[in-house]
Amino acid sequence: MLESMMKTKLFAWVDRRTGAEAIIKSQLTEYPAPKNLNWMWVFGAIAMTVLVLQIVTGIFLAMYYKPSAMETLGGFSVAFDSVERIMRDVNFGWLLRYTHAVGASMFFLVVYIHMGRGMYYGSYKEPRELIWIMGVVILLIMQGAAFFGYLLPWGQMSFWGATVITNLFGAIPVLGDLIGQLLMGGFSVGDPTLNRFFSLHYLFPLLLVAIVAGHIHALHTVHSNNPDGIDLDQSDPNNVVMFHPYVTMKDAFAVSLFMMLYMYIVFFNPQMGGYFIEVDNYVPANNLQTPAHIAPVWYLTPWYTILRSFEVKLVGIAAMGASLAILFVFPFLDRSKVRSARYRPMYRGMVILFFIDVIVLGYCGHTATTETLKVVGQIATFYYFAFFIGLLFLPKIEKTKPLPEGV
Amino acid sequence: MTEQTDHSRRNFLYVAAGGLGAVAGGAAAIPFLGSMLPAADTLAAATTEFDVSTVVEGQLVVIVWQGKPVFITNRSDEMLTRLDGHDDNLKDVNSEAIEAVQAEWMDTPEKRKTRSINPRYLVVVASCTHLGCIPLYKPSAGRAEWGDSVPSDWVGGWHCPCHGSFYDLSARVINGSPAPHNLHVMPYKFISDSVVLIG
Ligand code: HEM
Ligand code: FES
Repeated sequence: MLESMMKTKLFAWVDRRTGAEAIIKSQLTEYPAPKNLNWMWVFGAIAMTVLVLQIVTGIFLAMYYKPSAMETLGGFSVAFDSVERIMRDVNFGWLLRYTHAVGASMFFLVVYIHMGRGMYYGSYKEPRELIWIMGVVILLIMQGAAFFGYLLPWGQMSFWGATVITNLFGAIPVLGDLIGQLLMGGFSVGDPTLNRFFSLHYLFPLLLVAIVAGHIHALHTVHSNNPDGIDLDQSDPNNVVMFHPYVTMKDAFAVSLFMMLYMYIVFFNPQMGGYFIEVDNYVPANNLQTPAHIAPVWYLTPWYTILRSFEVKLVGIAAMGASLAILFVFPFLDRSKVRSARYRPMYRGMVILFFIDVIVLGYCGHTATTETLKVVGQIATFYYFAFFIGLLFLPKIEKTKPLPEGV
Repeated sequence: MTEQTDHSRRNFLYVAAGGLGAVAGGAAAIPFLGSMLPAADTLAAATTEFDVSTVVEGQLVVIVWQGKPVFITNRSDEMLTRLDGHDDNLKDVNSEAIEAVQAEWMDTPEKRKTRSINPRYLVVVASCTHLGCIPLYKPSAGRAEWGDSVPSDWVGGWHCPCHGSFYDLSARVINGSPAPHNLHVMPYKFISDSVVLIG
């Protein structure tokens, strides 16, 4: 189809003015992809699909959503009522909102798997360090976007979640007060906060689009890693297949499967037992009463546990910042020449334990703290950092297995 | 021609132009960031009046001052006696750590302990000094009423549900809490026997 389209006169006209043919060839039909990519390589395409869906559903939600904390006659607020109106009165409003709210969780799920893939197969290593680093920037912006978005329905969790996080930034020495006021536009979370969060919530995903473009551009410069983590001769047909149609078809198939799961959740279980949309968020925000148990949405809970693991507030905040910042230097901590965990027995154990560790951290952050869970959280926090520090020494003791010649 | 290019002059111009450009760019950021700071009407310091005699003995009320919640409690004599005996277990017994936890009128050891002008009525900002949740009022001592949500040697006070900070009945933070400071006090005065003016 693409072939015959490219033979038309119209295409020739466009091509002379844009160089479209060269782009299509270099990026799709003649762009080589390793032959042995497994299913872990489909999550990038899925993440892009979710990003587009979030932007589209968001734009339509914004046609009805009203960012105002002003009280209404019913005793709620303009923002809370507008979301309820989307749910009850707007045609297909419930579908838009659930697709968007569930989409936030699916986005993180997919991106976490995508990152795990990179860690396991060594995709963060030379020459792909910048791709990884841009990925970490994407993660941070996603977290920001989700944090801003979560305030918008102006429910109890929205309000108190935002209060806790803005106070967190407010506790940074010297600049804290200023940052807190810049975020809140006042001395506590209120109407000005809601307005600016809506503005930033609209902006951040658009920033994501630009950074994702850079992420892909860098990838297409150095080419994909592969499950064996070896360098491939990109012009040898024994190693590679053309991106289109081989990879595009595989990605499209994976996206279809993913959409079935995603839409199943949207239609049948959108709250996901309080994990995707927290129950307390159906209670309108009340600045005089903190809910009995507040926890962030699941995708932020690992970092929340790290924050809570320290008794001194500033240390907790510093540790949480460090746990994200360390992802930036991750490619430089690990000096081993071998990429894939398939050929690194010790790294393989460490990284699998790391994945389990993050899940444990997430669990601890979601549940009300008890003495035992606090200790479990502290041990998990310790391993989180020990994993990265351990990488500094690993190449000295690890015996890697011999790498295959080709694929 | 090229041999005649004056490189040092050219470099100077580059640096000067680039530097001024950077300064201009920085200056242009000021109105943008400035617009995000609290607006004049938000800043306009409102005051709140409240008649403390409406608070029943032993009870707590939460009122709003400048959009922030404020605790007012009426402490019985029995409750005031429970301010003693656990000094070792407090992070900042005399409220000296930072400015926000003390006030000019705290001029006697007694007032440092009760943290109030009239010992019965405690008036403090209701935001946990950890990350700003509103602590729950758990005034009776021991675990009888509160179960294991409070420590076994509980003296009565506040429990913050968010990350488990504890405060005594003078809102002084108890050791082991993630909150670093006692609850903040704000300026207030009695304008009659029972009416306080907050702010
Ligand atoms: C990175 C992509 C995005 C993420 C992760 C994200 C996340 C979220 C989250 C978590 C909520 C709260 C959901 C709820 O409990 O109801 C939300 C609400 C909202 N978002 Fe987004 N969002 C994204 C993109 C966008 C875009 C591009 C727009 C366009 C303006 C948008 C507009 C809205 C609106 C109007 C609401 C309030 C309605 C509601 O609560 O459902 N979002 N978003
Ligand atoms: S906000 Fe009170 S303990 Fe964290």
